[in-house]
Amino acid sequence: MKHVLKISFFLVAGSLLFSSCRKKSDDDDNEVELITTVNLTFTPVAGGSSRIFTFRDVDGEGGAAPTIFQDISLAPNTAYNMSLQLLDETKTPPDNITEEVKKEDNEHQFYFVPAGGAAITISNLNADRNGLPLGVTSTWTTAAVSNGTVRIVLKHKPGNKKAGDAITVGDTDIDLAWPARIQ
Amino acid sequence: MLFNSRYFIRFILIPVGILFYSLSAMGQCTLRFSGFVRDADTRVPLQNATIRMENGQELASDSNGYFILKGLCPGKIDLEISHVGCLSQLFHLHLKEDGKQDFLLPHASNQLSEVVVVGQGNVSQSGFSEQVSGRALDRTRGQSLAESMQHVAGVSMLQTGTNIYKPVIHGLHSNRIIILNNGIRQEGQQWGSEHAPEIDPFIANRISVIKGAASLRYGSDAIGGVVLVEPKLLPVLPGITGEINAAAFSNNRQGVLSAMVEGASTKHPAFAWRLQGSAKRGGNARTPNYWLANSGVSEYNFSAAAAMRTAHRGIEVFISQFNTSLGIFAGSHIGNVTDLQNAINEGQPPANIRNVGFNYNIGRPNQEIQHTLGKVKVFKSTGDIGRLNATISIQQNKRKEYDLLRFANSNILPQLDMDLVTVATDIVWDHYAGEKWRGTIGVNAAYQRNLYFRRFFIPNYQAINAGGFIVEKYNTGKWLFEGGIRFDSRSIFNTDRNGGFTYEDKYFNSLSGNTGVTYTFNEKLQTFFNASTAWRAPQVNELYSDGLHHGAARIETGNAGLKAERANSVMGGVKYTHKRLSVEASVYYKHIDDFIYLRPTFPPQLTIRGAFPAFNYAQTNARLSGLDLSIVYNFNNHFSYNGKLALLRAWDKNAKDWLVQMPSDRFENHLKYLFSDSKKFKQTFIGISLQSVLRQSRIPATGTIEILKPDGTISLEADYAPPPGAYHLTSIEFGSTMQCKSQPIQIILGSNNLFNIAYRDYLNAFRYFSDDMGRNIFLKLQLPLNL
Repeated sequence: MKHVLKISFFLVAGSLLFSSCRKKSDDDDNEVELITTVNLTFTPVAGGSSRIFTFRDVDGEGGAAPTIFQDISLAPNTAYNMSLQLLDETKTPPDNITEEVKKEDNEHQFYFVPAGGAAITISNLNADRNGLPLGVTSTWTTAAVSNGTVRIVLKHKPGNKKAGDAITVGDTDIDLAWPARIQ
Repeated sequence: MLFNSRYFIRFILIPVGILFYSLSAMGQCTLRFSGFVRDADTRVPLQNATIRMENGQELASDSNGYFILKGLCPGKIDLEISHVGCLSQLFHLHLKEDGKQDFLLPHASNQLSEVVVVGQGNVSQSGFSEQVSGRALDRTRGQSLAESMQHVAGVSMLQTGTNIYKPVIHGLHSNRIIILNNGIRQEGQQWGSEHAPEIDPFIANRISVIKGAASLRYGSDAIGGVVLVEPKLLPVLPGITGEINAAAFSNNRQGVLSAMVEGASTKHPAFAWRLQGSAKRGGNARTPNYWLANSGVSEYNFSAAAAMRTAHRGIEVFISQFNTSLGIFAGSHIGNVTDLQNAINEGQPPANIRNVGFNYNIGRPNQEIQHTLGKVKVFKSTGDIGRLNATISIQQNKRKEYDLLRFANSNILPQLDMDLVTVATDIVWDHYAGEKWRGTIGVNAAYQRNLYFRRFFIPNYQAINAGGFIVEKYNTGKWLFEGGIRFDSRSIFNTDRNGGFTYEDKYFNSLSGNTGVTYTFNEKLQTFFNASTAWRAPQVNELYSDGLHHGAARIETGNAGLKAERANSVMGGVKYTHKRLSVEASVYYKHIDDFIYLRPTFPPQLTIRGAFPAFNYAQTNARLSGLDLSIVYNFNNHFSYNGKLALLRAWDKNAKDWLVQMPSDRFENHLKYLFSDSKKFKQTFIGISLQSVLRQSRIPATGTIEILKPDGTISLEADYAPPPGAYHLTSIEFGSTMQCKSQPIQIILGSNNLFNIAYRDYLNAFRYFSDDMGRNIFLKLQLPLNL
């Protein structure tokens, strides 16, 4: 009998090792952290109305394809102030990820690489606290009518950001080959 | 001098046969059988020799080499007697009254093979089962489960860096292998190539590998094979004993400590217990040229077992928990396919990762896994003809995977978080009534439910598996026939995503069957043949996964239309032992219809982080064939050679091309010198081995992955990088059992990758990013304790 008791004790102790059923909260439905949306806002340096172009993939990487990927459409021979906004729209209200990037500006860097014939020059990237390029805002200068892409890349370089870093340095948070038309 | 086995059989078996001629006392299980176990060479009594009965009862000899088995039933008894450094021996006895017999164990030097082929009570005896135990297992202490069995011919490893190892049997792994932890089917998230088995190898006293689909006992889906992780049976002799194992490794400055204490009650000899625990801590591993940042590991595990048993009935309780936290090499967590190409073209990790140096910190990305198992088993004799066993178990597997932190103040919750609970039960009747017939009939059922939190990769689901089987054997001495049939049914239901989306329920059921024959020509030559058909229902990840597989930098999409896959295979083999030579060879030929695999799709999938290669689950017809060979030759009583060879050809019959990600041909040469025992040092040996893994040249000729060639052209390949070149690793080992007064200490000192060779393995997912581990010097100590 004593041993039966010992064994039952074992059983009870054992069952305590298994954590009880876990209840799901609303937070458990969504990814911890996602960048779902990129908004590019172009305002002519000379003044005028802004244009916004958006990339949106609300379920993150994989799953459904991006729902919105608008071509960048700019006028020829014009200078624009471009400002970037990153959002996590799985949260309500949407999380503004741009603020997080700015808070850690010394660990992040945007790259803009025109390709495929798009006659755009990108300059004047805003700087981080150490005077290295960040790129949340920049100046885009268009030339003649043309079509191509602008690759927009956000790199995360914790403790590793240096002057003149190649685009290959760091972990990729964003890498979009954005169709661009100058018309 | 030392005995060879033939002489041994004459010397022991014949007298044993003569000894147990008939007298009286039929029916009652009250007989005793006792004897002394001695070293055949020196006649020194062997303490702690293990006497194992076929029904699983096991005990150890005392300091005089004496043992006594009580409560035996009249009739046939099979004993396996083994001792560290000795060749284990099988004895077949007929018991009609109390018996006494002394046993001499020959030194292992004569015929040492790390892996001894034995017949298992409940599994196929057709010669496809190999085991790692005794000293061979001691030599792997401190390493992972898959590493412990990698020297079995036909077994290789699927690796993710230096911490995650999965066993591969004949080219198949993950969902196609069943691992039994102390008789319970391990249910983790085993589908993932970077999800290693959640088992503490220190639990095992013996690791058996059953190759191919020859086992019906544990489920039909093990079309690659079954791995049995078997603990030592609980002690029968009253008293308390223990064992301490310690291991230190130089490469990642890893320390491993394990302690075990066990006993049987003096007052109530039927009651026995064991407590066991182990802890492991390792830091960054080092390749010959740089450190692998964030490759540390920590692990702590414990188990407890208790049993009350007599010869006729018994109850056993077992509880274990496995906890690990392991870093994922920082250089492997890349963004998209462009980053991956950059990493491959670079040839080594970027400087900021290469130059991190050594530390024990486990940063992100990392994995945290906890696996808890509880089991109760009861058994009862059904007269003299059999034994009825019933088992119920519960397992919980919690897997948390953490990505790199995007921002310093990001939420620290894991990105991937899964909780899998499995409750399983089986009722099995082993019968051994006749002289020639024996077999097992049983049913199993299991209920499973998975929950995920946050990131979707596989859905929430519930599943029920139910099966029934019968396996019978008929043994005439020269001929052993066996056959079995099994029916399984699997249903997957309540499958949904957080936030609403529901998938349809799935039902699969089918039959599997197995037949084998072994013919023993004489004591030198034995041949065996096995034919089997087995099937495997598609798993939830194959049906419904959808998302970015971070470790693999690819998007995987399930296919809800998958059918079950079926493997039809034949295996044949031969065992030859004569004087100094022992050869074991087996060939296999396996057709897998509707083989489920990840097929690359084109174009790559667009995400915010760029293009990712996309794969979806598809089916093809595959053919896997191969050869496993092991040769032992003893030049003399001290000096021996062991060679192993494993070849595999894996062919996609539909595409008429090779299958991707299959182990390449490999062989191993091992030389060993065993010194004569002195008073203080026993079983002293020095061994050197050379492991050669050839370059995998059999890969698909084309694929859908765009690779930018140095000349600027783009070619379509099946993989991001070509298979790495062949490599040859040398390891050296020195071991001895020292007698310090009454305390024996087993010590093993050695080095893996002795010449610090930089290499990459085709089956290591991190071969794109870094070299494998460099030189690793180790020291292992084992102290048996008599408390």
